[in-house]
Amino acid sequence: MDRRFSLLVALVFAMTAALAFGAVQTAMAAGGTISGAVAFKGDAPKPKKLKITKDKKACDKRPKFDSSLVVKDGKLANVVVYIAEVKGGKALEKKAVTLDQNGCEYQPHVLAVAAGADVTILNPDKVLHNIHTYSKINKPMNRAQPKFKKKLKVKFDKPEIMEVKCDVHGWMGGWIFVAGNPYYSVTGEDGAFSLTDVPAGKYQVQIWHEKLGTQTREVEVKDGETAKLDVEFAG
Amino acid sequence: MAVRGVDPNEERKSYGTVFFVGSILLVVVSLWAIFDDNITRRVWKIHQTEFIRTDYERAEAALAKEQERLNADPKYAELVKQRAAEVESLESGEKGARLAELRELQQRVEVEYFDADQEVKFVKSELDEAWYEFDHAVQLGEDAGPYRRHIQELDAQQRALEPALEAARKKRADVKAEIREVQSGIKKIDDQIYELEGDKRKWQRQMDNATVTVGPEGFPQFTLYKVPNIHQVVLKDFDRNNFDQHVDRVDRCQSCHIGINRAGFDDLPQPLTTHPKRLVFLSDTAHPPRVFGCTACHDGQGEAVNSTAQAHGNVKFWEHPLHEGHDVEASCVTCHINVQGLEGAEVVARGQQIFEQVGCTGCHLVEGYADIPKVGPSLRKVQAKLDPAWMVKWIENPREFRPFTRMPHFYFKEDEALAAAAYLWSVSEKEADAWLKENPAPGGYRPGDAALVEKGRELARSVGCLGCHGFAEDEFTTRVGGKDLVPNLKDIAAKANPRWTYHWLLDPKGYNPATRMPSLRLSEDEALALTTYLMTLGEKPEPDAAVVARLEDPANVAKGEKLVRKYGCAGCHDIPGMENESRIGVELTTFGSKPLEELFFGNDTSIKHTWKDWTYNKILSPRVYATERVEQLMPHFDFAKEDIEAVRVLLRGFIERKVPESFKADHAERAQQILAGRRKVQEYNCIGCHEIDGMGGYVRKYYEQNPTLAPPPLNGEGEKVQANWLFGFLQNPENPIRPWLKVRMPTFGFDGPHADTFVNYFAGLSEVDIPYVHVDEGQVPAGYLEAGQMLFSDDYFECGSCHVRGDKTPDGPVEDWAPDLNLARQRLNPDWIEKWILDPQKLQPGTKMPSFYPGGPEDILSGDEKKQIEALTDYIMTLGLQPATAAKAEAVPAAGSSKQPAVEEQNRQG
Repeated sequence: MDRRFSLLVALVFAMTAALAFGAVQTAMAAGGTISGAVAFKGDAPKPKKLKITKDKKACDKRPKFDSSLVVKDGKLANVVVYIAEVKGGKALEKKAVTLDQNGCEYQPHVLAVAAGADVTILNPDKVLHNIHTYSKINKPMNRAQPKFKKKLKVKFDKPEIMEVKCDVHGWMGGWIFVAGNPYYSVTGEDGAFSLTDVPAGKYQVQIWHEKLGTQTREVEVKDGETAKLDVEFAG
Repeated sequence: MAVRGVDPNEERKSYGTVFFVGSILLVVVSLWAIFDDNITRRVWKIHQTEFIRTDYERAEAALAKEQERLNADPKYAELVKQRAAEVESLESGEKGARLAELRELQQRVEVEYFDADQEVKFVKSELDEAWYEFDHAVQLGEDAGPYRRHIQELDAQQRALEPALEAARKKRADVKAEIREVQSGIKKIDDQIYELEGDKRKWQRQMDNATVTVGPEGFPQFTLYKVPNIHQVVLKDFDRNNFDQHVDRVDRCQSCHIGINRAGFDDLPQPLTTHPKRLVFLSDTAHPPRVFGCTACHDGQGEAVNSTAQAHGNVKFWEHPLHEGHDVEASCVTCHINVQGLEGAEVVARGQQIFEQVGCTGCHLVEGYADIPKVGPSLRKVQAKLDPAWMVKWIENPREFRPFTRMPHFYFKEDEALAAAAYLWSVSEKEADAWLKENPAPGGYRPGDAALVEKGRELARSVGCLGCHGFAEDEFTTRVGGKDLVPNLKDIAAKANPRWTYHWLLDPKGYNPATRMPSLRLSEDEALALTTYLMTLGEKPEPDAAVVARLEDPANVAKGEKLVRKYGCAGCHDIPGMENESRIGVELTTFGSKPLEELFFGNDTSIKHTWKDWTYNKILSPRVYATERVEQLMPHFDFAKEDIEAVRVLLRGFIERKVPESFKADHAERAQQILAGRRKVQEYNCIGCHEIDGMGGYVRKYYEQNPTLAPPPLNGEGEKVQANWLFGFLQNPENPIRPWLKVRMPTFGFDGPHADTFVNYFAGLSEVDIPYVHVDEGQVPAGYLEAGQMLFSDDYFECGSCHVRGDKTPDGPVEDWAPDLNLARQRLNPDWIEKWILDPQKLQPGTKMPSFYPGGPEDILSGDEKKQIEALTDYIMTLGLQPATAAKAEAVPAAGSSKQPAVEEQNRQG
């Protein structure tokens, strides 16, 4: 009797485990990847050297160049690739990010952050900065960050691409991409991007660049497969 | 045998049938009369009954829903349960037993107390008696000794009794307190339930209000729907009779429109619906219907209730029928002198803007609008300015040259236009010659010189011309009624000559002392460059000797004089010899109440015979009612349909009604000042450059790339700046606050009264008084100036990183600079500075000034942010005291540790 009972228990256990494993398997299989690279066609103009007009001690430590069009080996950096509308899929991870103003320059030039996540803004420069967002959807912000305030924590609640500027140092300009879902990627120098775990379906993928505008591409994602997407901007 | 005249059968004849029929008829007629009187002529009863029922039913439904919600609320359910338990416990449980015990005890202690009290009272009465005996004995000179002893005895008695009374009193209080204590549980629960049941009670009240309870109290009662009755408002002294005596107005509209001021009946049809803008119009601070009724704004026949047509005044000979649609806005001007900016008065405000600014007042007199200056340019020296051939074409059809000009079309034929031009040409000769003698052709003027043209173009686009003028097809700032309030200069070379242009630019008031055109304080070189540029805009005409000859023909001049006089050109233009011409149009002060019989429709049959249609078509096509016998002179303005409507609505408001002051909007001095200032602001087109009171700032569209280089918005200026500074600045703006801006605040040449009008206007808008701001450093709390200076310094907020301080300018490009803080002491209001530091974005959205708060440093004034802001403000108000002080203050932060002495120095100087 006892043995039969324990056998039954073992059987039930095994079946549950198998079912659970199967479920995990399907969950992992659900979704594909969109990846590729953003290229720049034609000769990229040489980035202009920025003229540092004030607070030279803090700001002119290293030469600075205009970051509004960064091209290396024909690949375009600082491009945001994202899907504006997705149903279902993975949860948006509210990962904290940092925007550094070291040497009076925004690092990164294009910051991507999940809506509602903490953004820590650093001011190691020993000069006054101000963070002025030119936002239309989020409430515009213009906060001073005097030298004694080395860290400033802010949040943006709504998806938007907004310009951020420092009114104290006219040359300082950057962008903040506030993501409403987890499917976004900012290209680095190699122009590469990858959106993972995208639920199967057809999507309008947005490819945004601050100077070159936005392109929209339709991409079909299949479970477990990688959809290739190569984009090209002309100068 | 029959007797003559007597018919014995007569007595036997029955009139039963006749009486029967007669009485039936009487009954029927009576019933019909009752029916007619109560039903067919009392439509309002039907409406009211319907509303009362709906009101009741909705409240009932809402109550049920609310009850349901409460029942579903676990907190409420818990409370009800608790209450039941508590009641149970009070009635039969442990608490109940204790309560019964206490009640019994209470009775006993009450008796004890009463007894003790009574005993004391008796002794007191005896004391009174004893004192009387004593006093009596003393007065009679008898021996008072026994009485004194008696008093002492009684005193002793009372003292002996007092502790017992005190003990009884305490016991009584204790028992009472204990009873309260036992009952406190249920009281607490009841209080909480009461709080949760707020909405429920509201609905119950609403149900009660829709019903009446019949029957004496204590007997079975009936609850019935309320019986409809007339809802009447009496507007005391609102109207005048034919003897100009005040009479009351009776307004019964709410007998049908019963839900007009009740929220939540928007879905009901007329007449029961809620007012669509109830909160704007019917609030207690606006026009509460219990005071204003409905007809005060809507017109109609307020007393009438028998039919909709009667009540709305759509019957013969009723002069004020109900206003339909936006026409109701006409009533705003009866009580509000300034309708611009009034919520819900957008149409009539637009009409008022057009009426005031497009030139209507040049020909038509209206009370309250008589002082508006002439809208057209002076023609006193016009010969010095214009191309003669252009002038003729202009008068013939102004819109052909400038489609958006305010100058209307007079339907002149070429010969008439030429005659009018001839007259104007000839009368301006004398003054033009004198002016030309003083203002010679500019030396070094080289038409089309590329460098000068480029420089001029650059100037035109930067110094501020764009604030008013356009230089291309679609460039404009302020447009009212589809008209540019300032000429577009895209073809100016076809009109004006370079010599005039040059001197006009340099000194507009030298040509016309009354002009609105300000001086931009141009140097001669700048004026020359601008002239050169302007002369490239449009085609320069060839001199036309034939036209000049015709203009000088005395026959044409004589004919022209008649025309100019007849068409009232002097209403808008200053013309030599016509300074005292009166307005040629009819006075419109009471035009809105003009009866239909007085409106002349000419031979036109297509236009409906109503005031509304007559007026609309008159503005649309001013000569439409002219016949061969009746000439009409009004020129054509070419307004858009909405603009005509807007003006028509305003005209409807010009009525003969002297409303008592109690019904009028506040027209105290401040309202008058705002009106006067607003008119000046529009006249001088201040709003072309500056946003004021939420309107204008149109020039900002050219500064989208760099908004900080645009003229500043002046919302809240009255609160921001010191009145005496503003007064001085308006008269002489030569020392600008932002010297790095290319755009210049022009010199309008305002005199004291003009500047005063603006100062009062800004103060009125900001709802501030005009105090004399005196800053006394002696009053500043100890340590504040030091703290402020530290905050200001490069160790903390680095204010000097952007703000100019006198000669000390920040590093970096000028477009990143911020206003000179050395001027703050003279210019800014310290209260405003505090508000500004606290949240600049709130006062001026988009400003480059960042918020430093919250987030002030911990180590200054113990991190108290309010104190820090005060300290910073106090310090800023000491900047610019004296150059020496400022320099020292400047030196301090750099020196770091030697802060103290410099600040003390400053204190002494302050």
